[in-house]
Amino acid sequence: MRPTGIWFDSYAREARVLETHRSRIWLLLLLAFLLCVPSFAGAWFLGEMTHLFITLIAVYGLFVTVGMAGQINIAQSAFVGVGAFTAAKLSGMGLPFWLVVPSAALVTGLVSVVFALPAARVRGFYLALTTLAAQVMFPIVILALPMSWLGGLVGMPVTPPSLFGLSLSTPAGFYYLGLGFVVIAVWAAFNLPRSRFGRALRAVHDNDTAAGVLGIPVTRIKIESFFAGALFAGVAGAILAYFLQFVTVSSFTLFTSVWYLGMLIVGGIHSPLGPILGVVFVTLIQEGLHSAANALLQSGAAIGGGAVFALSSVALAVCILVALIFEPRGLAHLWHTARTGFRLWPFPRT
Amino acid sequence: MRLRMLIAAGAAALCLSGPVSAETYTVSASADYSGPFADVMPNAMAGLQAVVDYWNAEVGKDLGVDVNLKIYDMRYDSSVVAKTWPAILSSDEPIIHLGFGSPDLVTLMGRLPNDKVPMLLGTAMVGLVWKENGWHFSIRPTYSHEFAGLFTHMQQDKGAALKIAAISTQNQAGFVDQVNGVKKLAEQHPDRFSVTSVQWSETSPVSLTAQVRAALADSPDVMLVGGTTAQVIAASKAMEELGQRVPIVASTHNGLYEVAKGIPLAQLEGSYSAFSFAAPGKKNLPIRDVFEKYKKDGSWGLITAQAAAQAILALRVLENAVATVGADKVDGQAMYDALMAHEYTEEQLLGALPTLDYDTTAPFPVGDIQATAEVVRGGEIVPVQDDWFPVPMLEKW
Repeated sequence: MRPTGIWFDSYAREARVLETHRSRIWLLLLLAFLLCVPSFAGAWFLGEMTHLFITLIAVYGLFVTVGMAGQINIAQSAFVGVGAFTAAKLSGMGLPFWLVVPSAALVTGLVSVVFALPAARVRGFYLALTTLAAQVMFPIVILALPMSWLGGLVGMPVTPPSLFGLSLSTPAGFYYLGLGFVVIAVWAAFNLPRSRFGRALRAVHDNDTAAGVLGIPVTRIKIESFFAGALFAGVAGAILAYFLQFVTVSSFTLFTSVWYLGMLIVGGIHSPLGPILGVVFVTLIQEGLHSAANALLQSGAAIGGGAVFALSSVALAVCILVALIFEPRGLAHLWHTARTGFRLWPFPRT
Repeated sequence: MRLRMLIAAGAAALCLSGPVSAETYTVSASADYSGPFADVMPNAMAGLQAVVDYWNAEVGKDLGVDVNLKIYDMRYDSSVVAKTWPAILSSDEPIIHLGFGSPDLVTLMGRLPNDKVPMLLGTAMVGLVWKENGWHFSIRPTYSHEFAGLFTHMQQDKGAALKIAAISTQNQAGFVDQVNGVKKLAEQHPDRFSVTSVQWSETSPVSLTAQVRAALADSPDVMLVGGTTAQVIAASKAMEELGQRVPIVASTHNGLYEVAKGIPLAQLEGSYSAFSFAAPGKKNLPIRDVFEKYKKDGSWGLITAQAAAQAILALRVLENAVATVGADKVDGQAMYDALMAHEYTEEQLLGALPTLDYDTTAPFPVGDIQATAEVVRGGEIVPVQDDWFPVPMLEKW
């Protein structure tokens, strides 16, 4: 029995992610709210939410590779790009989006295996450099290939998605597309640590030598962690391609990869809640400041645009710094601490 | 009764004699306050706003039209453009969008024909997006056309064939396209131009000595460096190291003003910046006078001149749209039709641009394309000449 009086009469009930009836209701309410958002939100908010969903899926991929398996990866943006270009190519061939998205995920996973092979031999900074090679190679390969293959220098247009003849290329359509896939990604990420594969990833993360001694195929698990993380990246890339309606290599940069990693760290690298909190926190601050700056600029205020946006960038950096200084283990740990304190109140946590 | 009727008639007369409220239209504009062009953006937006204010005060008032310029920071990022544009479309209903650079171009060019809002870019076009029936246009032809105009002028001065070496980067599609366009020029006019070598480097190279040495081996008359400011600086330093001096030809985004922030102008003596709006230092320039009169902030310079040119063209298009459909019925389609149907003279454009004509075959001005350039002479940046250079016809590459 928990101090709060919650008890379970079977292991299956205790092993649930959502342990209590109340938490399941909260989740249903949240889902219902998210489904209703397009009925009252404007196009700008729907665009922001869609972009947030895409980023969240990509960061969940990093959670699997970096957070669970401990394999540093600074090429997640390149993998998102692989997914995007695959989706652009397949959509141009007339395939429907429900075939394009999983195909893009699969292709991205297979490409990631090539860069995962060095993970068998190197770790830490050296592995980071290896994945950096993937990020650097991505635009070079795209540009070097014949233009008819992947658009080369120009990039590729993307055929807008549709479902049963209904166009999804509206703000609400993209929102629901992103929401659908993010629900799947969140469900997968919360359940993965509780699976056999997830436990193997955790073992490799904690001590790969000991994991090997225990019979876990370490090399295979490391490669599979990249593959699994790249599946998420491929899905994110495919949805991003539909959202942008045009893909070019300049959309998938090292800066974006680092940004994904930063969101994961701010949110909490080891918790499945971390990506959600990190992405939402950074997006809220960044877009909130940006919107405020835009509004200030358009109001005709005396302050110049350069100063306004410079200040907003500084403010964003300060927020991230403050978050990491006060909670270096990420916002998920802060949430966990607060929740435990709430449940045990008025008793102390320790 | 009669008194009451008189009072009512007087009140009605007073109401009717009041000023007719102007029809307000929104012109949206992309800015980059947080990306690679953040440092020049205040001047660029100042240029846009000053011209809009001039037009509202001196032209729009008589037409019964008022323009509201709404600027959005797109961070030079396609994803920001993609998520912001639907909101701009639904909330602002712009009649035209003033774009800035390739993120706007690649993200919006597929959508604009459906959205029925034309886009006018201030940056030069690239040959890669030279497609028909688009709704995206530039006030300038392609970078290659602009270079071709200057090269034609230089070749005529020289008398013999002009030898051009190029240094660029393969990291940006547009920069590779510039070189391809110049190669097309040489291919079409082999007796007048030859591209002696093309050297590729990083976007921000530490040193270009090896590339410059290789390029100079063929004794070029001019070195085209149309990519980045860092490349121009590195090329100039490399020539100093090698004890050689060949004029560099750059564009506006990496031009003389930008490079002069990194190295002394004396090192750029004889180097050029090619473009196709009026040089900011040109003697008689009405658009500059307009800016100085109506500016709220910012200073006159290259980027201000480019933005001002972009704005004046958009507003002259609006005048033609109003004349065609009426002051209360202007929309994106009317603006597009007005852009296609009329020629815009240099005088109408306050000297900011040469006479421009658009049609559906290209996203940039067609017909007699003209360009201009600035050069470093005696340690100062001055226009090469007051007149425009004619640009030779370039086939699509």
